[in-house]
This record gives sequence, C-alpha cells and structure tokens, in this order.
Amino acid sequence: MHHKVVVVGGNRIPFAKAGGPYARASNHDMLTAALDGLVARAGLAGERLGEVAGGAVLKHPNDFNLTREAVLSSALAPETPACDLQQACATGLETTMYIANKIALGQLTNGIAAGVDSASDAPISVSDPLRRILLQASRARSAKERLAAFAKVRPAHLAPAAPRVAEPRTGLSMGDHQALTTTRWHIDRASQDELAAASHHRLGEAWGRGFFDDLVTPYLGVTRDAVLRPDTSVEKLGTLKPAFGGPDGTMTAGNSTPLSDGAAAVLLASEEWAAEHHLTPWARIVDAEVAAVDHPGGADLLLAPVGATGRLLARQGLTVDDIDLFEIHEAFASTVLATLKAWQDEDYCRALGLDGPIGTIDRDRLNVTGSSLAAGHPFAATGARIVPTLAKLLHERGPGTRGLISVCAAGGQGVVAILEAV
Amino acid sequence: MARDVETFEALPAMGAAFARALVPSRATEARIPGHAVRVDGVAQDLDRFADYARVCGFTLRDAVPATWIHVLTFPLHVALLGDRRSSVRLVGAVHATNTMTMRRSVGVGERLSLEVHADNLRPHARGAMLDLVGRAEVEGETVWEGVSTYLATGMTAPGEAAAVEREPWEPVQPIARWRLPADLGRSYRRVSQDPNLIHTSRVAARAFGFARPIIHGMWTHARALAAVEGRLPEAHRADVAFLKPILLPATVGLAVSPNVEGLRLAVTTKDGAKPHVLMDVGPAR
Repeated sequence: MHHKVVVVGGNRIPFAKAGGPYARASNHDMLTAALDGLVARAGLAGERLGEVAGGAVLKHPNDFNLTREAVLSSALAPETPACDLQQACATGLETTMYIANKIALGQLTNGIAAGVDSASDAPISVSDPLRRILLQASRARSAKERLAAFAKVRPAHLAPAAPRVAEPRTGLSMGDHQALTTTRWHIDRASQDELAAASHHRLGEAWGRGFFDDLVTPYLGVTRDAVLRPDTSVEKLGTLKPAFGGPDGTMTAGNSTPLSDGAAAVLLASEEWAAEHHLTPWARIVDAEVAAVDHPGGADLLLAPVGATGRLLARQGLTVDDIDLFEIHEAFASTVLATLKAWQDEDYCRALGLDGPIGTIDRDRLNVTGSSLAAGHPFAATGARIVPTLAKLLHERGPGTRGLISVCAAGGQGVVAILEAV
Repeated sequence: MARDVETFEALPAMGAAFARALVPSRATEARIPGHAVRVDGVAQDLDRFADYARVCGFTLRDAVPATWIHVLTFPLHVALLGDRRSSVRLVGAVHATNTMTMRRSVGVGERLSLEVHADNLRPHARGAMLDLVGRAEVEGETVWEGVSTYLATGMTAPGEAAAVEREPWEPVQPIARWRLPADLGRSYRRVSQDPNLIHTSRVAARAFGFARPIIHGMWTHARALAAVEGRLPEAHRADVAFLKPILLPATVGLAVSPNVEGLRLAVTTKDGAKPHVLMDVGPAR
C-alpha cells in the first residue's frame, strides 16, 4: 500500500433484536443515525468527504442507492459521493477495505465505511408467478390485455414471500449448515455455552467501563446493546432447547446470534488528513483477504476465513503469535470454536494449500469485548462494528500491537483483515 | 404583566373541544383569551412519531423535527380557541403564517412542558388576525418556540388594518415533483390528530368553498422541512407563509434557492407558476 490508512473513529447505534425497539426504523433511518453520530463526534458536519461506502444484506428494491440517500439525509455535505456494496455478513469489513484501498492508492484521503441491516423491516416480495403477471399487466396496451393478465392470478400466488436466511443452492439455513460443521468438528454443547456466556460477560464489562462511550450513539431511546444479557450464565444457557441440528443438536438460541437490527460506520483516513482534522489515529489497516470454499461441494459453509487467515499471515510474514488480539465474528459459538480447531488442524490447513497449521491461540486474546452473540448481528453492520472496536483496543495497548479480524459470510465466503496500532 | 396559566393534567382530548371549535361564532368582534394553557410532563409516543416521520418524509431519528412539536401543541390551540372567552373559532380560521425556532435538538425520549397563549389581536383587510404563541420546555429550558398566525375572516378587531405588502412572485423552476394522493389528508390526520373535516371530506371542503379536500398546511410545511433535513444547524428557524391551499389529489413542485441566511423553499404548482407555500429556513436567531 502506498499511503498509510488509519482508523480514526467509529460509531454505531446500539444493536437490538429484530421486532424490538427499532421495529419502526428502516435501513435508511438507522444508517443515517450511525453516520450522523460519527459526523457529530468527528466534527465533520457540512464537510465533503471523499466517499461513503455502505450496504445492507436485506434490502428493499427502492433502496438501490441506500448509502447515497443516507448521506443526503445526514449532516455531511451533499457533495459527498457514496456507493452500495454487499458481501453478505462481511459487508461492513468489505466496505472498510474498499475505502481503505482507495486511500492507500491515493484516490481518496478519507472516507466512511458502513453497514446496516434491519431484520424487522425486511422486504416482503410477491410470489414469482404474481410478479410476472403484474409486469405483464403493466406492459398491457389495452384494458382487455390488462384483464387477461389479471385473469391468470390464482389464490396461491397471493401468499407473500418473506426473505429467508437460507442458502439458495442448498435450501439450508445458515444454522442448518453450521449444525453440520458443529457435528463434523465435534463441538460440544458446553464449550458453545461457555463461549456465549463469555461474550455476554465481556461485552457487559466493556459497557461498564465506558469503552463504548465514543463508539456508540443512543438511538430511539436505546442506550446500550439490547441483546446483551450480562447476567447470563453457562447454567442458564444450558437450559435452552436445541434450535438447529435436530433434537440432539447442540446449537441453541443462546449460542447462536439472533436476527438483529442495527447500523455501524468507520471513519478511515490518510495520516495527513487525520492530522489536519485533529483526529487521533487508532490503528492502521495492514492487509486483508477475501476467500471462498467449495460450496455446495461439501466444505464447511462458514469456514472460508480459515484459508484467508493462513495466506494473509504468510503474506505478511506473521504467525498467530505476532497477533495480540483476535476478533472472530460469532455467527454461532460453534463457528468460532470450529475455526479455532481448524487453525490447529494440520491436515485441514495443508488441504487448503497452507504450509501447516495456523496455530493455537490463548482465549484471553479472543473477542476481548465480546462479539456478535452478545452484541447482536445486523448482517452488514457487523464488520463496521468490529473494525473500530478492535482499532480502539489496539490503540489502548500501544503502538505496534496487532489484531486480526475474521468474518464468515453466506455463500461459503469470508473476509479476514489485519490491523496494527499506530 | 404575568399571564394566568391554566395547567391541564394531560393534553386535552381533541373531540369535545373541537366540536365546540366547530360551532360557528355569532360574534363579529374578535375576542381572544388572556390566559395561557399548559401541560407538563408530555411523553412523546415513539410509534406515533415514527408514523408522523413516514407520512411527512422525515428520516426516523432520535432528534424530532420542529413541526412535530407543533403537532404536540395543537391540542392546546384547540383548547384555547374552544374556550368560552374566545370568539374566534379555529375551524374556519385560516392558518396564514407560521414561525418556529428549535433552540436545541430535542430527543424523542425527552418529556416536554408545552404552553400556548393567544396574543397580538389585530385588524386585517379581510378580518382579524391573531397569534397563537407556543413554547416547549425541557426542565425549564426553552427548547422550541412557535408562532402560528391565524386570520379569522369577517371578524373585526380594534384599530386600523396595516397595509399588507406581499412580495411579488416570480415563477420558478421546480427541482422536485411531489405526488400527493387523495387519501393524504387521512394519513396526516392519523398522525397529527387534527380532526378538521376540511382535509378529509369533500362535503366539508365544499362548505368552506373548496372543490375537494385540502392538505393540511402543516403537512406541506413538514414535507418541505424534510426535504432539507440534514442541512439545518441544530438551532434553526423556519418561517412559513401559507399562500394557496393544495386540493387533493395533487402534483406540486418544489423549488429550492439560497436566501440570506439559509434556504428558501417554494412549494408551487407543478409548473412553478404559482406558489402554495413559501418557507425560509436558517440558523436560529
């Protein structure tokens, strides 16, 4: 990279369970709120920024220019351009890399990367046959033709289709796929519940010490992540019934992320721009890699980041021992646990083309302020939640400390990135 | 002189007061109540606010727009002019101009004290004019002020009517087109709780001389404010003149141009030939 790219701030609204306090808010509303909070904190009202990249996974057709429209509703200058990107659950990390790469190339000096999702305000579409009839009717040149089109409507066509978090090629939900991985990697129930409880406890502690005071802006009366249960325990989580994997399944609503609403944004800049704007650089973006596995050829749907992690570390001449903090997105507790096992598995890593196992890490370095199980997971927002969180954690630890982010995504994909405190 | 303040326990229900406000006044001499009406601890209903934001085109934010606080004070307008000490009736009075100032950003979670009094009764070439002066406070701090000026047509007030100077209108080129559906009056009634039938009933509209229902001026005001949301400083002001009602359904134009301190928005006929509503926005003074 030619220019050093630094994370100088971030903002999100507290995340909440779908159908909860943000049930009335749209992606546009939440993304605007996340942007405006960031703009207010960084003192950028009325400024023309280089670019804003954002996206949503569940998107209404008329939101084709979602991010640009949010910019126009925000306090940023209307001359700030924007674009929409989508990389499933890795969207917020992919938008970060899109802006970071442009800054690195000298095309931008600054920009905002963002993501938003509302599972509450998800688009409902009409059935495919009805959609074709409606299109035919709209093309009709006479009342007779229009009538002929409508005459084809059958009652079964009228059932609305809600979006499903299912893989188009397999028909399996994300949870169903992860249940296969959970079994394959022998992840037991107790370790999943322990990881989930730790996530809640750590996120609760971080809120308690004011860590999120400059990373979150209240929205619609919500001042703290509404999914968070700091008083949960392994015992309480142990009472929940399996949600995926059948009656003997180990994955529950407690160790899986809930459908969530929320938005997050990251402010990225060149060092010069940050200095001109009196913003403290927290960490620089070192490198990133996007990867995919053989899907639906039988590979674990959510383990694509493993290969990317190995290649990225090798490219940078680093090992896991050079990384101080790890942020592995908790799509499910068992995703994190399977990822850690895969990192240690020589055969698995060699099959990916790596020289050997990635390595073993100390849990004290993993998701130290909790992750998606406790915070919630508005799909596209998660990456933009993690980047500023990790950047600030690294900044607290001092220059040179490194962090690695691993985010799995639908379609058997994933994005991995390395940050280093400056 | 300190004004008497009648404090209500809660915002008055609009039904009864509105019924009284509907009864035509036989008086020709305009009289206004000297007291203020007030209600404390008003909680804002998030669901209703979300509906309001949708109907008017606002992004749903933590901070509420100035026009929303006007809507919250509206039951006090009705109560004040429905009072026996008032010979002016709200129904039939024409909302001529409106001025609002946000002193600071107000969150939807904040509890408000709302107070309204009538003031400045004066003669006008077509009747009597008066101001309904509103204020919203949060813990004693004034956060919002609003002055709604009404014309009670055919009524008299002491004094000589000042000559009204209307700025000449030059046709403009609209940069936006709004399509207002026939049921917009109903949608806005649901969120504003303004039950005036002139906005929803053809029969009632005819009784007041309109061929079709007309959209609430405060909807048009809110829609125009929403068009420039994000451009307004935290403390801002909006001055509006309601010049010509919009009959529903309608397609109207919006023209935006800079003015001395901020922006001038003109809601016009589709072609920009005639103005419906003019709004100037800028920093609070």
